[in-house]
Amino acid sequence: MSSLLRVEPFSAGFFGYFAAETVLALGLVLMIVVPNLGRGTFRVPGTQVRVPWFFGGERYALTGRPDLPGYISVLTLLTALVLLINDLLNTWDHTTQEVLVHAVGDDSVRILAATPFSRLMEALFIGALFLVALASNDRYRSTPAREVRSLSALYNNRRQADLHILLLTCALGMTTVALAENLFVLFVGLELAGFSSYILVAFNKESKFGSEGGMKYFMVGSASSGVGLYGLSLLYLWAGTLQVDALALAWSNIGQEILPYVALGLMLVGFGFKVSAAPFHFAAPDAYAGASSPFAGLLATASKAMGMVGLFRILLVITLPEGTEGSAVWLVLLGVLAAITMTWGNLAALGSKNPKRMLAYSSVAHAGYMMAALTAVGVWNLGEASLDGAAEAASEAVLTALLFHLVVLVAFKMGAFLVIGLLEQEGEVKDDRTLSGLSKRSPLLAVVMFVFMLSLAGVPPLSGFLSKLLVIMGIVKVAAVDVAGSGASVSVFGLDLHWVWSLALLMVLNSAISVYYYLRIGVVMFFDAPAVGRDRPVPRTVFTAIAIAICLTGTVGFGVWGDPLIEVCRDAAEALLR
Amino acid sequence: MDLISTVLVGLPMVVSLMLLGLLGLMPASLRPQTTEAMRLVTFVISLVLFVVTTAMALGSLGDINWLAIGFNEYVLEFQYPWIESLGVTWHVGLDALSFPMVWLTAFLMPVTQIATWNEKKGAVYHPLLLLMGGTLMGVFVSLDLFMFYIFWELTLIPMFFLILKWGGKERRYAAQKFFIYTFTASVVMLLGLITVYFLQQPAAATGAAGDFTGRSFDLVALTSLANDVHENGGIFLGKTMQSVLFVMLMLGFLVKLPAAPFHPWLPDAHVQAPTGGSMLLAGVMLKMGAYGMFRIPIALFPHAVETFQFLIMLFGFVSLVYGAIVCLGQTNLKKMVAYSSVSHMGVILLGIASQQPIGYAAALFMMFAHGIISPMLFAVCGAFKHHYHSMEIGAMRGMAKHSPWIATSMMFGWMASLGLPLLAGFVAEFLLLVAYWAAFGWWILGPGLALAITAAYYLWSMQRTIFEGGDETQPPATMEGKPIPDLDQSEKVAMLILAVATILFGIFPFLALDMMDAYTQTIFAALFGGA
Repeated sequence: MSSLLRVEPFSAGFFGYFAAETVLALGLVLMIVVPNLGRGTFRVPGTQVRVPWFFGGERYALTGRPDLPGYISVLTLLTALVLLINDLLNTWDHTTQEVLVHAVGDDSVRILAATPFSRLMEALFIGALFLVALASNDRYRSTPAREVRSLSALYNNRRQADLHILLLTCALGMTTVALAENLFVLFVGLELAGFSSYILVAFNKESKFGSEGGMKYFMVGSASSGVGLYGLSLLYLWAGTLQVDALALAWSNIGQEILPYVALGLMLVGFGFKVSAAPFHFAAPDAYAGASSPFAGLLATASKAMGMVGLFRILLVITLPEGTEGSAVWLVLLGVLAAITMTWGNLAALGSKNPKRMLAYSSVAHAGYMMAALTAVGVWNLGEASLDGAAEAASEAVLTALLFHLVVLVAFKMGAFLVIGLLEQEGEVKDDRTLSGLSKRSPLLAVVMFVFMLSLAGVPPLSGFLSKLLVIMGIVKVAAVDVAGSGASVSVFGLDLHWVWSLALLMVLNSAISVYYYLRIGVVMFFDAPAVGRDRPVPRTVFTAIAIAICLTGTVGFGVWGDPLIEVCRDAAEALLR
Repeated sequence: MDLISTVLVGLPMVVSLMLLGLLGLMPASLRPQTTEAMRLVTFVISLVLFVVTTAMALGSLGDINWLAIGFNEYVLEFQYPWIESLGVTWHVGLDALSFPMVWLTAFLMPVTQIATWNEKKGAVYHPLLLLMGGTLMGVFVSLDLFMFYIFWELTLIPMFFLILKWGGKERRYAAQKFFIYTFTASVVMLLGLITVYFLQQPAAATGAAGDFTGRSFDLVALTSLANDVHENGGIFLGKTMQSVLFVMLMLGFLVKLPAAPFHPWLPDAHVQAPTGGSMLLAGVMLKMGAYGMFRIPIALFPHAVETFQFLIMLFGFVSLVYGAIVCLGQTNLKKMVAYSSVSHMGVILLGIASQQPIGYAAALFMMFAHGIISPMLFAVCGAFKHHYHSMEIGAMRGMAKHSPWIATSMMFGWMASLGLPLLAGFVAEFLLLVAYWAAFGWWILGPGLALAITAAYYLWSMQRTIFEGGDETQPPATMEGKPIPDLDQSEKVAMLILAVATILFGIFPFLALDMMDAYTQTIFAALFGGA
C-alpha cells in the first residue's frame, strides 16, 4: 500500500511537488507582464514630474517583439513537460508514495492528489499543448513590427499574446482535472480548460467557419456542462460530499434509491460531450472543421483525454465497488453507446470529403473504442466474472491499454492535424483536394501523413496498431478467458464468451471500415495532381516541422518499442484503481 | 549461424528503408539520376539473398538436413525478447514448410528485377520491390504470432504503392480494393489470434510469457501446447471453440489465397499492377495464405480440419471450376492469367481437403510450382503489354511469326501452367489426383475433369494469339503500323531462368518434393496419428 504524503496548499513542500503547475502559473504571469514592459511613465499628480515605471508606453525592442509570447509559451510548456516526465520516470517512487493536498486545517478533505496516474495525464495534456503552441507559431505568424505592411499581417501580429495566454490557461485547467480528487475541483478545471478551448476554436477569424464552429461548440458545450453540473449537484444532495473517495464509499452502500442514478446519467451527458461520444458529438465536426488545425488536434487529443479522466473518476472509481448492488449499473448503457459511437463515427467519416471533418468523425470512432474498453472494465466488478483475486489485474490490463491509446493518440492524431495545419496556411481546407498531389510537392510530408493515417487505421508496426491491439486484447481477456472459466451464462455463438467480446468484434470490423477513408487520403496524396493554387512547394515552417517530427517519432517509436510506455501506463492504471 | 534467418528479413528491409529515406531527403531534381544506382543496389542485395538461400538448400551453409526436421522443430532458430509485457519475441526459424517459400522469394526477387530491367519506373520502384521481398521473408520466417501478423500486414504497404504508382488505368480503385479486402480479412484473423492467445492457460505459456498478460505469442510453444493436449486424447480449447477460431483464422487466409468467393480483389489487383508487382503478388504473396493455413489453423486445430473437410473441399472445387470457367470467357490476357491463379489456388485447397499426406504434399508442391510458373505467365503478359500496348487476346494474331520469343515463352508458360508432364505444374496435379484416388476412389473424376477445363482455356487463348492468322498476320491496331518488336535481352534472360527452373523441378521434383514429403509425413503423424 502506498503511503500518503499530506501537504497543505501553499505550504512548504507544495511548490516542490507541483513544480510543473507552478511553472505554468509563472509562465502565465510572464506572458501578461513581459509584452507590456516599456518606457511607460507615471506622472505624479499635480506636477510635471514623470516617474518611469517600465510598464506600458512605447515597448522596448525586445519586449515589443510580436513573436515573444510564442517563445514564452513554448518554453513554459516545455519546462513543465520536462519536469513532469522527469518526475514520472525518475524521482517518483510509484509504489510507495503519493502526494495529497488537503484542505487547510482538515486533512480528511482531499483536494488534489499527485499519483502516477495524474502525472501521466498531466504529461499528456502538457505534451499536446506544447505541440499546439509550437505549431501555432507558424499557423498564426507574427511579423516583426517594422515590417508590418498589410492589415492582415498586423491582425495576426496582435493576437499572439491572447492566443498563448489561452493555451496556458487551458494547460492549467487540464492539469487541475488530472490532479483533482474532488468532483467540484475537477469541474472547475474542466470549465477553465473548456472555456479556453471554446475561444481557441473561434480564434480562426479569417474563416467564417471559425466563428460558426466556435459558437456551436460553445453552445452545445455549455449546455452539456450545465447538465453535468446539475448531475453533480444531485450527487451532492445525495451523498453530502463531492470527494471522490467518500462518494465511492457511499456508492458501495447504495440502496433502492433513484437519485444517484439520475445524477450519474446527467454526468455521463456532460463528459460524453467532452469525449465526443454519440449522441453528443454533433458539434464536434463543425468545431474541428472551423478551428485552426492545431486547435482541432487539441480537441481530438487532450480535450478528449480530459473527458476520459472525468469518466474514469466517475465510472471506474466511484461507481465500481466490487460486486455490490450499485456496481457498474452503467454497463449495458455504456456498451450500447460504445457500439453506436464507433459505428456512427466510422460511417459518417466514410462520407466526409473535408479531411478535418473526416478526422473529427474518426475521433468520434476512437471515443467509441475507448468506451468499449471502459465497458470491459465494468464487466469485472459486476460479479459476472469469476474473480480469482485477479479482478484488479484484468481491469488494470484494459485501463493500461486505454491510457496507452490516449497517449499515442496525441502522436498520430495531432500529427495528422499538424500536417493539415501546415497546408492550411495556403488557404482554407474545405475538401480533400487540399491534400491532392502532396507527394509531388513534398514527398517526405506525404509519406509522414500517410504514416499517421496508417497508424490511425491500426496498421502494424505503428503505435496505433499496438494501442488498438492492447484495447482489443484487454476486452478479449475479460470476455474469453476468465469469464469462460467461471461458466458465465451470457455467451456469444453458444460459446463461453461474455457479450463484451462482441464489442471487440465490432471494433475489429469498424477498424476495417475505417481503412477505406484513411487510405483514401493516401490515394489522394500519391495519385491526384495538385489542385489549382496549391501547386507550389509546401510552405517552409520550422516550428511545425519540429512538432511533426516529434509526432512521427512517437508514432513509430511507441509502436516498435512500446514497452517503456506500457510500463508507465500500467503504473498509472494501478494508481487509479487503488 | 542462427542469425541467418534474421538477416534474411533484416537485410532487404533495412537496405530498402535506407534507400527510400535517402530518396526522400534528396532534392526531387536529383532523384531520376539515382535510378541506375538504386536498381544496382537492390539487385545485388537480391542476388546475395538468393545465393545464401540456395547454399542453405544445398546444405553447404548451415549444414541442415531438410528431411529430418520433426514436427514443430525448427532450424536456425533465434529468439530475442521484443515487447516483454505482452510476451512478444523476435522469434524466427525455418522448417521444411517455410524454407521452400523463402527460397522462392529469394529466387523471384532478382528474376523480377531482370524481367523489368528496362522499364522506366523511376528511382523509388526498386527499393519498394526490395521492401516487398523483405516483408514476405518476414512472414515466412516468423515463429511468433505477433511478428507474423505485423509482417502479414506490412506486405500490403509496398504492394499498395507498387499498384498505385505504376499500375494501369484503374490502379486507384484496384489498390484500394486490394488493401481493404485483405486488411478486413486479416483483422478478423487478428481477433482470432488474440482469442487463442488468451485461451491458452497462463501456466502453460513457457519461457517468453509476458509479465503483464502472463501469456506469450510464441507459436512454437503454442503448437506444442496444442499438440500435447491432442496426444493425450483431448481437444485443445474444446470442439466448438476450435471450430469458431478455425473459421476466423481461415477467413484471413482464404481471402489472401484467394478462394472463390473471396477472390474479387485479385483480378483487379493483378490487371492493374505493374509486371514486377504482379510477379511477386502471384508468385509469393498468394502463397502466404496457403502457408498461413498450414502454419496456424491446421497445426493448432486438427479436429476442426476434420470438421470442415467437406467445406474446404467445396471452396477448393468451386475456386477450381469457377476460375477455369471465367478464364474461358476472358478477353483480357492478364485477367485470364489472374483467374487461372484462383483456379490453381483451388487445387491447394483440394489438396488440404483430401486429408492425405500425399494431398498435403500436392498442396505444398503446388504452392512452389505455381510460384515459379505464374511469375512467368505474368512476365509474358507484361511483355505483351509492353511491346504491343494492348492486353486484349484478340489484338495480336500470328505472334509466332513476328515475335517468336514472346510466342515461345507464352507457349511454354501456358503449357507449364496447364500441367504438361515433365514440367513443374504436372507434378502437383498428378499428386493431387493420386491423393483423391486414394481417399475417394472414383470421385477423382471431379478434379480430373475440372483440370481439363484449364487445358481448354490455355489452348484456346494460344490458338487465338500465336497461331491464328498464320502468314497474313494482323498486328494490333495499337501498334499504329510500327514494326512489331520481340522480347528485349533482359526479358529473354528472365524467361530463360524461369523456364529452366520449371523444367528442373518438373524433371527432378524430388529436389523440393522430398522436403515437402518429409514435412507432410511428420505433421500427419503428429496431428492425425499417421495417414
